[in-house]
Amino acid sequence: MDSIILYQKIQAFYEDNKRMPSVREIRDRIIRTKSMRKTKELVDALVDEGVLRRDKKGKLTPTNLFTSVKKLGFVEAGFPSPAEEELLDTMTLDEWLIQRREATYMLEVKGQSMINAGIRPGDTALVERGKQPKHGDIVIACVDGKWTMKYYHILPGKKIVLVPANPKFPTIYPKEELRIEAIVTAIIRKY
Amino acid sequence: MSAPIALGKFPRAILHIDGDAFFASCEQARNPELRGKPVITGKERGIAASMSYEAKAKGVTRAMRLSEIKKLCPEAIILPSDYETYSLLSKRFFDIVRRYTPDVEEYGIDECFADLTGWQRPFHMSYTKIAEKLQDDLTKELGFTFSIGLASTKVLAKLGSKWNKPNGLTAIPNRKIHLYLENLPIGKPWGIGPQTSSLLQKYGVHTCLDFVRRDKEWVQKYFPKPIQEIWSELRGESVMPLQIEPRADHYSIQKMKTFTPPSNDPRFVFAQLCKNIESACMKARGYKLEAKKVYILLRTQNYEHHSTEVKLSRPTNFAHELIDLLKPEFDNLFKKGVLYRATMIGLIELQEPNLQPDLFGSSLKIDGFRRLYEKIDEVRAKYGKHTIHFGASFLAHQFTQHSGERGRVPERKNHLFKGETSRKRVGIPTFSTELD
Repeated sequence: MDSIILYQKIQAFYEDNKRMPSVREIRDRIIRTKSMRKTKELVDALVDEGVLRRDKKGKLTPTNLFTSVKKLGFVEAGFPSPAEEELLDTMTLDEWLIQRREATYMLEVKGQSMINAGIRPGDTALVERGKQPKHGDIVIACVDGKWTMKYYHILPGKKIVLVPANPKFPTIYPKEELRIEAIVTAIIRKY
Repeated sequence: MSAPIALGKFPRAILHIDGDAFFASCEQARNPELRGKPVITGKERGIAASMSYEAKAKGVTRAMRLSEIKKLCPEAIILPSDYETYSLLSKRFFDIVRRYTPDVEEYGIDECFADLTGWQRPFHMSYTKIAEKLQDDLTKELGFTFSIGLASTKVLAKLGSKWNKPNGLTAIPNRKIHLYLENLPIGKPWGIGPQTSSLLQKYGVHTCLDFVRRDKEWVQKYFPKPIQEIWSELRGESVMPLQIEPRADHYSIQKMKTFTPPSNDPRFVFAQLCKNIESACMKARGYKLEAKKVYILLRTQNYEHHSTEVKLSRPTNFAHELIDLLKPEFDNLFKKGVLYRATMIGLIELQEPNLQPDLFGSSLKIDGFRRLYEKIDEVRAKYGKHTIHFGASFLAHQFTQHSGERGRVPERKNHLFKGETSRKRVGIPTFSTELD
């Protein structure tokens, strides 16, 4: 048997049984031979290569090559540092900006229609799909095969209109059923 | 009406979820101008990789050449593949499925299996209801549709997802299996290829129901284990476990690149192969794997394939070793006067490096190369994959992979947000930017 294969099999034995096999077990269960001499030769070769070790009594012990899960270090007893405690409650900028990662998309703002809402051409919008819009939300809708960003307003009688934040642009009164694609959740301006 | 072949409903509840025209749908979801129109992706490959249902309705099929598509459907919108966006959406697809069960097998970029067995109670919903809810989440959050099959086995679930596409949900409880298999041609199920199918027909098996009505002994006598498994699965007996672990795709690595126009210049074609060898080796080094065997393949203009396989004396992921080794093999394969359109390298039987010193003392030299390649990979990671390459692949780096209009890159790569570079972009899919 190839020494690498033997090593892998011993490693597998170790993982299954959480202990090292004896030389006899290696002979009977891993190499499956009758020859103790042959087995010892193969095992000694692995010991010489430093892959296996023997303890004082001559029994096999694992080297660090065997540990599949590493120790993560020791927990030091004592008082936790207040700074660490505080850090547990922080979030990344990503987490702050994005609530539902799977439904969030990005797009670049073009045009002036939302200028009075402080949304300028070149700004980056984060938008979320699949959320029910509320009155006053800024939404992305599909009008005449194009994206448009507008305020979502619900008029009395539950009529929906799309209102720009720029008096130069017309309010859109959708004739047919309007599909709101996404709701704007953040505007990012990078300088 | 025939008798059922199994009893009960769902002893196991396995979903197969399949994105409808996935790549084309990713494009339609981000750009409303493409909706309702025949959209085809794969421009850079010269063949249709994916087509929207509008294009399918016009008769466009997968792998159809673009020239043919233009004749068949002149109004077709043909886009270059945007794998970055497709991969991001694919990952989201799997993440959404994992909200419902951790047991998900990612079977391809656009399909997966999910095991819902036992989740009715915690969700207070029937399996069909859970599948409906999942389908709804996917459509709402990704912006396009998915088809789902629900059954006791993977093979039946896969039949179910195909049953009613697009946006279908087909549940096949065990006691109704026979109704689905009754008129289903034997070549349809997943895993039964044309060979097996024609052999089965010689034995008088024409429909799937004919097949599952045969007894086990008969199947065992005439067919190998994989077909026996399909027989069991079609009967509602689950014998194919889900492969929950991320698929060990990297146990083999392939790199294939098509170039246009096709070439009969051996130096140019070999340079293309070398470029692929370099990319494949870099990927293998990234995974810390070495190949014991490699194969190369040349594809001619007429889609003929010529390939050869080489076993290595020592596993490696060093490009220069493979290039030297494969040059004579390439010369054997290459025929003068034949036009080639693609080359491919496959690294197979990958394994982790054996760090032990070898008998012939070449390990020092190997270690030197290992460090050299580490540095090369660092430079490439920082400045771009093709900043350092071998002289052997020089000719392949001279031009874009495709001359002319097929060389177009997807919008996402041309349209960068502030602070993005051509090599590093924000990992969030984008909407097209036509806004008023």
